[in-house]
Amino acid sequence: MEEPLALEAVGVSKRYGDREALCGVALIARPGELHGLLGPNGAGKTTLMRVLLGLVRRDAGTVRLLGQALDSTASALPNGVAGFVETPAFYPYLSGRRNLSLLARLDDCARSRQNDRIDSALDKVGLAAQADDAVGGYSAGMRQRLGLAAVLLRRPRLLFLDEPTSSLDPAGARDVRAIARRLADEGTAVVLTSHDMVEVEELCTEITVIDRGRVAFSGSVATLRALAPAAIHVLHTSDDRAAFSLASERRGVKAKVSSADEGIELTAGIEALDAYVIALGRAGVAIRNLERRARSLESLFLELTGHDGGSEAPATAPCEVPDAARASLVVS
Amino acid sequence: MSVRGLVAVAGVECSKLAAQLKVRLLLAVCVAGPVAFAAAIRAQSSVPADTLFGRSVKESGFAVALVVLGFGALWVFPVLTSVVGGDLFSAEDRYGTWTTLLTRSRSRGEMFAGKLLTALGFSSIAVAAFAASSVAAGLLIVGPQPLIDLSGNVIAPATALRRVTLAWATVLPPAFGFTALAVLVSVATKNSAAGIGLPVVVGLTMQLYAFVDGPETVRRLMITSAFGAWHGLLAEPPYYRPLVQGTLVSATYFVVCVLIAYRVLRHRDIGGQR
Repeated sequence: MEEPLALEAVGVSKRYGDREALCGVALIARPGELHGLLGPNGAGKTTLMRVLLGLVRRDAGTVRLLGQALDSTASALPNGVAGFVETPAFYPYLSGRRNLSLLARLDDCARSRQNDRIDSALDKVGLAAQADDAVGGYSAGMRQRLGLAAVLLRRPRLLFLDEPTSSLDPAGARDVRAIARRLADEGTAVVLTSHDMVEVEELCTEITVIDRGRVAFSGSVATLRALAPAAIHVLHTSDDRAAFSLASERRGVKAKVSSADEGIELTAGIEALDAYVIALGRAGVAIRNLERRARSLESLFLELTGHDGGSEAPATAPCEVPDAARASLVVS
Repeated sequence: MSVRGLVAVAGVECSKLAAQLKVRLLLAVCVAGPVAFAAAIRAQSSVPADTLFGRSVKESGFAVALVVLGFGALWVFPVLTSVVGGDLFSAEDRYGTWTTLLTRSRSRGEMFAGKLLTALGFSSIAVAAFAASSVAAGLLIVGPQPLIDLSGNVIAPATALRRVTLAWATVLPPAFGFTALAVLVSVATKNSAAGIGLPVVVGLTMQLYAFVDGPETVRRLMITSAFGAWHGLLAEPPYYRPLVQGTLVSATYFVVCVLIAYRVLRHRDIGGQR
């Protein structure tokens, strides 16, 4: 029997005045899945999260959370669904613990279990020592940790995290990733937005790329890797003209000269690049600098989102609300 | 919408209010204000003769409570009822906490009803504290002498206490109307200054209209007219028509403001592009 979906959003559209924020977006997450929602700034990731959390009315489409239909903004979020959007906000005149206690009351958490749950959540996010300080004195990173504690109180089976590591130091970000991974191991579907390809690649098993309110890619990280072009490097040499000429002759190496000062842009697999570098030495061309501009998945991400080094963004067609079939994933 | 959810939201809102200094200060002023007024009246030689029951403030403590009631109708009640109602919703916009609240297990309907209940509860408590303090200050500082009513009859202290209490109770319907107006402004503007200030400005404008020789029908439709409806309770025989009219007008303001406010909140995009 097929496992029920934790999240099923089909044909979600949202328009703000003349601007299409989302256009027929489909998003599916299964229990235990870490699903990355990627896209450049303004792509519609946060708007989609708001729609999925019932904070923003959708103009079209259906959303099912843990099997329950979400009645746009009217109904309460089902138990087991949790999340935050942007930097979580709390009452600054109350302590972190008091804020959590009030939120637990809104969740019908029994008072007898409330304190234990709050202590446990604070401990997990590393905020136990500052729990009794007023939130007004918290840094953005501490508020983000408190936001994570607040969602953990709901014992989520479907969790939405909007750029959960954006305000955290590297250690904090590592802790958050560990929490997300552990929750997924326990069967929670975690949907997280980011524009950090490395973070998503490291953490997630499934990825949806959104660009200008549309799904540009959806599928597994493995599928994305298979589609990914070679990494992009930028090369500066003692004789760029000779280096470019040599690159053009070699198989597996694509070269492009952007401008006189920017060097040569190389697209090549690691073996082809190694062979090319050796050939440059043999030809008496000295390498002054060779740096990676984009990892292979980053290259694909830039390609998918039309931001691959200065190319004009393609014009988007007017949003047509797709039927169920057309709302299926672009790549799956 | 469940009663359990409504109670949970109201409980959370009460906890938040209890933690705010301004709320405690306001209640303290409600209690201390009438005491200071009664003490000042006793200390000075003149009386506020141009105010209803003003001539009797040194002769009966009940008159003190009624003078405070008359003054409150003019200035205090619109402020008292707006301070919480006008801030309860817009404070969530100020702190950015709508997202935090609405991602728990409560619907917008429960959230709205719980917050409204809290605002009405605070208005009731503030009016009750103001009333209790006025009566107590009058009785303790001036004394429980019989009261001369608006028809010139002498009312025994026990009857006077009952009528004064009833007179204060008649303030509640327009107070709730003002609370609902403050809630509407708070929800619609997302601005606490507007939520608190606008109902006060509306109240003062209506009070000013009462001094103008305008159509009587318009005057009756002013919610501030209901603040003076208690006069009929202190006449012989008592008359209740202004009280009934005032209550109906207040109820209309309440229902209209609450329905519009709920509709606005229910259909609002939280944190989306405005």
